[in-house]
Amino acid sequence: MALHLDRRHFLGLAGATASAAALAACGGPSTTGGGQATSQAADIDFSGVKPAAKIDFWSSHPGQSQDVEKSLIDKFHAQNPDITVNLVTAGANYEEIAQKFQTAQAAKSGLPGVVVLSDVWWFRYYTNGSIIPVDSLTKQLDMKMDDFQKSLVDDYKYDGKQWALPYGRSTPLFYYNKDHFAAAGLPDRAPKTWDEFGEWAPKLKASSGAQYAYIYPALAGYAGWTLQNMLWGWGGGWSNEWDITCDSTESVAALQWAQDSIYKDKWAGVSSKEAADDFSAGLTSTTISSTGSLLGILKSAKFNVGVGFLPGGPKAQSNVCPTGGAGLGIPSGITKEEQLAAGTFLKFITQPESTAEFSAATGYMPTRKSADMTAVLAKTPQIKTAMDQLAVTKVQDNARVFLPGADQEMAKAAAKILTQQGDVKSSMTDLKSTLQGIYDRDVKPKLKA
Amino acid sequence: MTRQLAPHPSAKPKRPPGPAAKIPHRRWTARNRRDFFVFLAMALPNLVLIAVFTYRPLISNMYYSTLDWTLGSPTATVVGLANYATFFTSNDAPKVLGTTAVFTVVTVGGSMLLGLLVAVALNGKIRGTTFARSAVFAPYVLSGVGVGLVWLFIFDPGYGVLAWLLRGIGQQSPQWINDPQLSLVMVILVYVWKNLGYCAVVYLAGLQSLPKDVMEAASLDGANGFRRFLSISLPLLSPTTFFLLITTMLSSLQAFDLIRIMTPLGTGTSTLIYEAYLQAFGAYNRAGYSAAISVVLFAILLVITVLQLRFVERKVHYS
Repeated sequence: MALHLDRRHFLGLAGATASAAALAACGGPSTTGGGQATSQAADIDFSGVKPAAKIDFWSSHPGQSQDVEKSLIDKFHAQNPDITVNLVTAGANYEEIAQKFQTAQAAKSGLPGVVVLSDVWWFRYYTNGSIIPVDSLTKQLDMKMDDFQKSLVDDYKYDGKQWALPYGRSTPLFYYNKDHFAAAGLPDRAPKTWDEFGEWAPKLKASSGAQYAYIYPALAGYAGWTLQNMLWGWGGGWSNEWDITCDSTESVAALQWAQDSIYKDKWAGVSSKEAADDFSAGLTSTTISSTGSLLGILKSAKFNVGVGFLPGGPKAQSNVCPTGGAGLGIPSGITKEEQLAAGTFLKFITQPESTAEFSAATGYMPTRKSADMTAVLAKTPQIKTAMDQLAVTKVQDNARVFLPGADQEMAKAAAKILTQQGDVKSSMTDLKSTLQGIYDRDVKPKLKA
Repeated sequence: MTRQLAPHPSAKPKRPPGPAAKIPHRRWTARNRRDFFVFLAMALPNLVLIAVFTYRPLISNMYYSTLDWTLGSPTATVVGLANYATFFTSNDAPKVLGTTAVFTVVTVGGSMLLGLLVAVALNGKIRGTTFARSAVFAPYVLSGVGVGLVWLFIFDPGYGVLAWLLRGIGQQSPQWINDPQLSLVMVILVYVWKNLGYCAVVYLAGLQSLPKDVMEAASLDGANGFRRFLSISLPLLSPTTFFLLITTMLSSLQAFDLIRIMTPLGTGTSTLIYEAYLQAFGAYNRAGYSAAISVVLFAILLVITVLQLRFVERKVHYS
């Protein structure tokens, strides 16, 4: 009898194991299609579709924009009483929101109608087929695409389609402490080149009493983004198209100069958490930070804040500023009704009045040419510098924005050079082989021929 | 388990031998059946929970580890053991396993040793020990996220408390956050601080349950305090030490919150579990590769547990 029960129990257990295995096989990706995952031709004809009554808007509130996002959503509700937009804090930064979005993709549930996506993430969503092209929505909803700032909207074009629209878009900006500059007898402007700043820095450090004349942005932030300024100024870069060039003579010279400013000339440091906070706390006389930090800095700094274009280098004095920041996309894994409702909200939140209001609250750039900025500029004239700099920006290096994890690898290489005094050439050679590996494995197979 | 399941022989009603006593072999008595249903009612919810939330993910994860799968992508390619091959042939394995070993050995050794010292100190009859015990144990129950944030602020080389103290004696703060090696030191320090209270309390309980007569006998024989501790307390504490060794090692190998909060990029602090997280949910989205790393971690945990149970436990004195 005991034996019998044992066997029965064993059979029961075996059954449970089998059903567990079956359950396991249900989740996860399909392997039948084999090969790569590229965006399939999604059904994106929205004629005759009725917008859904409710969608979620996933945001990381770039530039502390929670309040202005709420206010914009209230206005949207007043104009579109049939669609409710629910603002969800889906992360504290672009990486966290991407993590949540990718996880929802894998779980195949809980996707939002509209999601904030950064410069380094949208392309991955495209290759994974996680977002739809918005062209048919912009057409059906009659959005004036030629009114967007061209360089900002073109960032999301690939394969002849528009994959997202610009939202909290920024460039880095050179911030300086006007009081420190005056005390050091320096002109009231940002330096034109890094060499010029190299001459100013010792005077600045001697007279200001601050710990540093300049602080490099935190490496755990977006080191790969802001360092492009120096790389380009010296004639180098992370990559040229798909050629990884971070170990070129020019790139190495740029980073050598950066290392010397810390270890040889000793007037620069590296921020541990957030350069904008270090700057407004008076720890440093100058820094480079996003335009999205502008309003925060102006609010917390107890001194006169000056802003200017990013300095040039020995090879290039202009067009040494990358654009960056976030756009908005619509997931492919939701219903067409939800996608249409999302499109309607996208149209509202990117219209000239909305982008002007968003810009006024954060310092991010207005994404529309026709955005009326007079009231904003009267209150915060520094935003004008950011807007003017847009004319001299350069498209980011492919290696940084299109290679998954490249930004983190760049940050690690920068840490070796700028905080451990590692050899620049060998650090960059290592970085190159890592980046090349990522390209060969994760990107090359997915690119359209 | 099966023994518990089977109705105990003694539960079988005794019947006189002979043909009349023959009963169908498969028949259950009412009592057996009732026992079995009670067992099912008690155990099934747990078994189902464990199956769904432990074994199912474990098996799924092993399956995912054989895929080349980008997280978020609807499709994947079966690549067999290629992810394991990549891990063990690239620079990743020595780096990640090395970091894991350093982190585990130092945190386990540190919190156990300091925990024992604290326990010995608190075992004495000194005023204020109750308060001191609570103070030592408090960090253990705090949220790792909160602890991480506060300590990050203390370590901040720009305007942290530590930097301020160092400036007071004319020293520059080390680059705790930017320097990968110092980052590991920083996380280890905070982890030990947070967990030594646990070891201290468990050791304290062990110390207080030691037989007093043995101690007294040793004193009469002329053994001094240190000698008594070394030759009597320590061997008698070996069950406690063994228990702590297993539990703290398992939790060190799975330490996540402090690492995530204090070093989000994992620069210098990428242990197995954090590397698995970074590969899938950080910037790389290599879900299959991440699953393979998780399986390696699982294998290591399994081996450690088995080894400890088989070999270390034999050396344990149970008083």
